[in-house]
Amino acid sequence: MRLLLVEDDRLLADGLASQLEKAGFSVDLTFTAKEALMLAEQEDYRAVVLDLGLPDGNGLDVLRKWRMNRASFPVLILTARGDWQDKVNGLKAGADDYLAKPFQTEELIARLNAIVRRSEGRVHSLVKAGNLELDENRQSLKLADGTEHSLTGTEFRLLRCLMSRPGHVFSKEQLMEQLYNLNDNPSENVIEAYIRRLRKLVGTDTISTRRGQGYLFNDLV
Amino acid sequence: MISFRKPVSVKGTLLALLLPAGILLMALAWLVHGLLLDRMSRQFVETRLEDEVAFLEHQIRDSNGQLDVLQTGDYFQEVFHHSFAIHSESRTIISPETWAPLLMPLLESGQEGTLRVSDAQIAEAPTDILAYRKSFRVNDQPIVVIVSEDLGALSQSQTELHAWTAVVSLLLILLLVGALWLGINLSMRPVVSLKAALKRLQDGEISRIDVKSPEEFQPLVLQLNQLLDSLDQRLERSRDALANLSHSVKTPIAAVRQILEDTDRPLANDLRQQMAGRLDDIDRQLEAEMRRSRFAGPQVGKSAYPLKQARDLLWMLGRLYPSKSFEMSTVLTEERRWPIEEHDLNEVLGNLLDNAGKWSTRFVELGLYEDRQEFTITVEDDGPGIPPDALDTLGTRGLRLDEQTPGHGLGLAIVREITERYGGTLNFCSGSIGGLKATVHFPGIAGGTPQ
Repeated sequence: MRLLLVEDDRLLADGLASQLEKAGFSVDLTFTAKEALMLAEQEDYRAVVLDLGLPDGNGLDVLRKWRMNRASFPVLILTARGDWQDKVNGLKAGADDYLAKPFQTEELIARLNAIVRRSEGRVHSLVKAGNLELDENRQSLKLADGTEHSLTGTEFRLLRCLMSRPGHVFSKEQLMEQLYNLNDNPSENVIEAYIRRLRKLVGTDTISTRRGQGYLFNDLV
Repeated sequence: MISFRKPVSVKGTLLALLLPAGILLMALAWLVHGLLLDRMSRQFVETRLEDEVAFLEHQIRDSNGQLDVLQTGDYFQEVFHHSFAIHSESRTIISPETWAPLLMPLLESGQEGTLRVSDAQIAEAPTDILAYRKSFRVNDQPIVVIVSEDLGALSQSQTELHAWTAVVSLLLILLLVGALWLGINLSMRPVVSLKAALKRLQDGEISRIDVKSPEEFQPLVLQLNQLLDSLDQRLERSRDALANLSHSVKTPIAAVRQILEDTDRPLANDLRQQMAGRLDDIDRQLEAEMRRSRFAGPQVGKSAYPLKQARDLLWMLGRLYPSKSFEMSTVLTEERRWPIEEHDLNEVLGNLLDNAGKWSTRFVELGLYEDRQEFTITVEDDGPGIPPDALDTLGTRGLRLDEQTPGHGLGLAIVREITERYGGTLNFCSGSIGGLKATVHFPGIAGGTPQ
């Protein structure tokens, strides 16, 4: 299993590379962002371990470039900063997992195996309707102006349901099937609250209300 | 010119505004006084002249038109201090005689009532007079009576009175200036003492401002003192943290160096493990202190968008735990802000959600609620939960829960510490679906005492 390791601390990189080799990976090692970009383009890797603080650039920028070029290999980022916002930013940039330094090699290998397994059979699938794009793998919404918004599970399922058949009226009961809830009998207000939240993102006119019938996705707006 | 955009000093502005206004109003009052005085005296003179004419008429009628019978001479002049002229077909009496050139034209003119002659250039007679003329018949004999007064003398005394009023007005203005000065100085006294207190604060003579300030300045003083409190606390905390850190980090470093320096000693497996253990200790301490030092605590002017942050964290955890569902239940709108520092709120939400994500089997729900008194965050999972007797001690500092279940300890301890700093509470109970339910209450703006 070919793996690219991007880490500028040589002591850590060498130690890690030999441990990963022992675990069955065939490791390419690089210390710079520039080389990492080039290697990922030329070679076909099953996974990448990426350090964020590189001497010639930010690891997040490298990751964004890969994702922009539709590179689909899973990426695990290594970071010394364990801030929640950093983690969110890392995943938004396209990472599949993160690991804060210092870490134990067993954990790194376990996580690598997990993201490789998860990425198998993954196809780039988008739901498009109107000027919106819903990324199924990343569970995110791309608006016409190019901004990307993260969605929670239910928001994503509701929007996917509505966007799957633009112009079709879905009743509240149908939409409620998309709901996972602690409460056994979710009220219709819950659906209304979700629709309100979604409208904030996609625009009020994009999801229309049919009084007494339900909601529909308006792709003509 | 007074500039309101940049108030140089309150005192200066007040004086610059009140003084000219006072002077202007006083001058206006003086002018109005002059006009009224003029009008009043003229009216008074006119009625007196009319009365005297009526008196003369009465006398003439009593004497059946015999003017000679009237005791003229100085009598009327002495009684009324006015000059007069009586004209009949047979006789014309003018007293005093020097006024004759003035009064003769009036006798001959046919006008009745109040007459005014001004700028007459006649020797020994006044230039301005006011006269009242009346003609009537006694025994079919036409008689004309005129009584007149020298306006020059009147206006002279009038001017004198007006001048006195001006003097009094000036004195009043001086008094007004004094009163203004006194009033401004008195009302500005708290500001002066505040200024002095600030100076002493700067010089380090005092550590808090303890001035009885007027209620307009109370919030300012309160805010400043709170700011100073939080600065002090922060300094104290960071010193404590550094002291703790250096104590717990330097010793393991010394131990590891000792082993590495000893070249004769083989690096046996047991030794390696001990060294790794020491390094782990350093890491744990560093992590805990660093995260603690990043807390902001309640701060003026800091707020966060809970919905946006929650959405990002739920999305991220949904990516990290693909088989589990992270949901949100809230009535908050996207634009709603909570007065909690952004990083602090992220730590609370992130740690609670991450913990719930680790233990849940497939479902985690985050609830964000608010009412007048408090902001509430609930995180519930469908995991195995924990025994009731352990609920109270969860997330308590010093309890090494993290040694048994990785990740359970530090995160919850951090949540508890942040909530306490905001004067809030963190509680755990069994959830409706068997898992653990964590509830955080942050006091609203009005309530709660931040620590």
